[in-house]
Amino acid sequence: MILRPAIVMSMLLLPLTAQQGNVDEFLKLEPVLQAALKKAGPYVVTVETFGGTRHVMGKDGPMDGPAPPKPRPKPKKVEPKPEKKPDELPKPVKPAEKPKEGEKPKEGDKPKEGDKPEKPKKPKKPNKKKPGLVASGFQQAQGKTSGIILSSDGWIMISRFALNLDPTTILINVPNHGTYHAERVGEDTSRGIALVKIDAEGLPVPEFVHPKDVKVGQWAFALGRTFAEQDPTVHLGIVSAKNRLFGRALQIDAYTSPANYGGAVVDIHGRVLGISVPLSPSGRNAGVEWYDSGIGFATTIGNITDLVKRMQEGQILQRAWLGVQLSTSHLGPGAKITGTPKDGAAKEAGLRKGDIILKVDGQDVLNGPHFQMLVSSRLGGDTCTLVVKKKRGEKAPISVGPITLKNAPWSEQRKGKEDLPASFSLPEGEEGR
Amino acid sequence: MMRIALTVTALATLLSAQTKDFGKYYSFDEREPKTQVERTIHGLLPSMVKIHGASGLATITAYATGIIVSDQGHIVTLDQILLQKGRTRVVLWDGSVHDATLLRADDKLGVRLIKIDPKEVNGKLKALWPPSEKQAKYRNGQFVVSLGNCFRLAEFSEKLSATFGVVVGKANTALRYRMADVKYDGDIILTDACNNPGHYGGGLFTLDGRWIGLNMKLLDSKETNTMLSAALPSRDLLPYLEEYVLGKKREDVIKKVVPVWTGITLFEQAGRKSPPAYVERVKRGSPGRKLGLRIDDMIVRIDDFSIRSCKELRSVLKKYKPGDTVKVMWKRGTKVMTGDMELMEKPKR
Repeated sequence: MILRPAIVMSMLLLPLTAQQGNVDEFLKLEPVLQAALKKAGPYVVTVETFGGTRHVMGKDGPMDGPAPPKPRPKPKKVEPKPEKKPDELPKPVKPAEKPKEGEKPKEGDKPKEGDKPEKPKKPKKPNKKKPGLVASGFQQAQGKTSGIILSSDGWIMISRFALNLDPTTILINVPNHGTYHAERVGEDTSRGIALVKIDAEGLPVPEFVHPKDVKVGQWAFALGRTFAEQDPTVHLGIVSAKNRLFGRALQIDAYTSPANYGGAVVDIHGRVLGISVPLSPSGRNAGVEWYDSGIGFATTIGNITDLVKRMQEGQILQRAWLGVQLSTSHLGPGAKITGTPKDGAAKEAGLRKGDIILKVDGQDVLNGPHFQMLVSSRLGGDTCTLVVKKKRGEKAPISVGPITLKNAPWSEQRKGKEDLPASFSLPEGEEGR
Repeated sequence: MMRIALTVTALATLLSAQTKDFGKYYSFDEREPKTQVERTIHGLLPSMVKIHGASGLATITAYATGIIVSDQGHIVTLDQILLQKGRTRVVLWDGSVHDATLLRADDKLGVRLIKIDPKEVNGKLKALWPPSEKQAKYRNGQFVVSLGNCFRLAEFSEKLSATFGVVVGKANTALRYRMADVKYDGDIILTDACNNPGHYGGGLFTLDGRWIGLNMKLLDSKETNTMLSAALPSRDLLPYLEEYVLGKKREDVIKKVVPVWTGITLFEQAGRKSPPAYVERVKRGSPGRKLGLRIDDMIVRIDDFSIRSCKELRSVLKKYKPGDTVKVMWKRGTKVMTGDMELMEKPKR
């Protein structure tokens, strides 16, 4: 009899204690957060850029931000032209005289029979579109952003966002070490990251977490060092999803904006999960509508060691482009081609409208979005072998390739067309490239 | 006469009713606070007031929040809302409405004190005061609660909104509001606890109830083109509050502005966007020459201020007076160099 009231009382009290526990968890979390900050703080550096050209980018701006810098053309040698004698100079030809506008035609200038009356010229439409200056909304930040130390000998990973203006000078401020001049080395435009090198040694190196060890729902703190160099700024959130943007990034709900782009996204132990970048599913730089929206992306670093080496060699990596348009009505199996734009790798490999792609590198293609996922996770220069059922010709599927994928075109205009959402999950074991 | 007297009595009865009994439709049952966060908010709400200024301009909100800073009726709020003499009203947490007189504002801080008559208040006002230096300390990542009347959601005796977040950072950054630069040049507290119109003038508190900041307006960061939720550190209000609430006299501020001279001529092209601060010429015997600056050096920082253009260098130097020593960082080729420069008054010819 005594037991029963006790049980009832405990059942009544349980929700209350549970609630109290939940809210006061924050107080318990605070020292843990401080410890993570203390550990991760030294790896986050300030990136300052100077010079460059400010330009406004709209929604129809180029893929993955502005194009990477091209090698500057060498100045041409001006050869002296052979001097011509005055006699050899061609005589200037007088243009036929035309009556000026508004002038009445003279009597002798009456139109002859059979002559077609001239159509009035249409007034030229004002050219509203000016590439690079189109839409409002996304203005490039100029000044400070953040970065992460990658190795003790001075390799720093930054967000490509910092280089959008093509700055003339980049300075890196490493906390407790000093300020260094940085050389721009390699880039991966599909991940929105860039590598710079500073002349420093003995820098603290963070511990990077492989994305396979990340769990959705775990704490993710976005650090930045844009505003204050003493302590990194911190935004709190969780990992919202994995393998976003074709296996390239984690989605987090910590606020990300130019105030912390390039900064580290760390877990509760101060280990680096990724680097905050302004990516968006459309492949373009995320604009103001993404700032502090609770949807942020962090490019994972733990799984791209080979790519970092390629970037250290000065390579500029870009997303792959096969050059096929796919049918949305064909639900599988395979992906049906409805068009092959010129200059695309697919057209050069002999793929045509109506062909159905059945396999990519031995993996069965389930449908169009699956095929896009398999190809978009690659980079320009990668190869792939396809198994294709041709519309015309042989009935049995044939192997095409290896096809060398091209870099995604920069000035591609996709107005009115929505890109595929980057929400297809990768097959198990695939991390994307 | 009788009719007027009756009307007055009726009005007085209505007003007194406001402060006493709100009726069954305006009474909300509430359980006792249980957690630390709940207790903190519950304890702080009586010190917060709703402020209604003049209406008229669509672009400037006519409402805000204030914090009671003395039992004599002093309330501190942001000055950037539209307050008008004779038309500013204060609504206390119990729903009672009071006329407020405007005291002198502090232009640099952008705050203003207003005052209500303590005799008209039921009971005693529960005042807050900026905590001691030790108590006012905060760390990045520390959890905070922000209290205010966002979008005038709370009317009458309804409680203010509480938003929750962390201290994002402390910054002395180039800020502007509506394209105009913010005058305040001290460190501000950045937070991700939401700040909205109406929330301005409210307080930013730690979870144990320490008042660390006064909510500012949403600000533009010039460096990043982002909107920032920020708060003025409450300790920075102290000299202003002491002068007008406690009657202490402030030390005289140097009024005469003497421009500083560095002897550096920068490379600038007329009609162009201000380029990075490249040195074109350094005068003999000038602070720039003593520092060791040469032609084609690029000045990148003065103390904690980033210098991205010649224009920024000029505006930063305005903050100093002759005799001040600044830490200059400049780039020569691929080397980054630093040194101290003592600023001078321009020598007379």
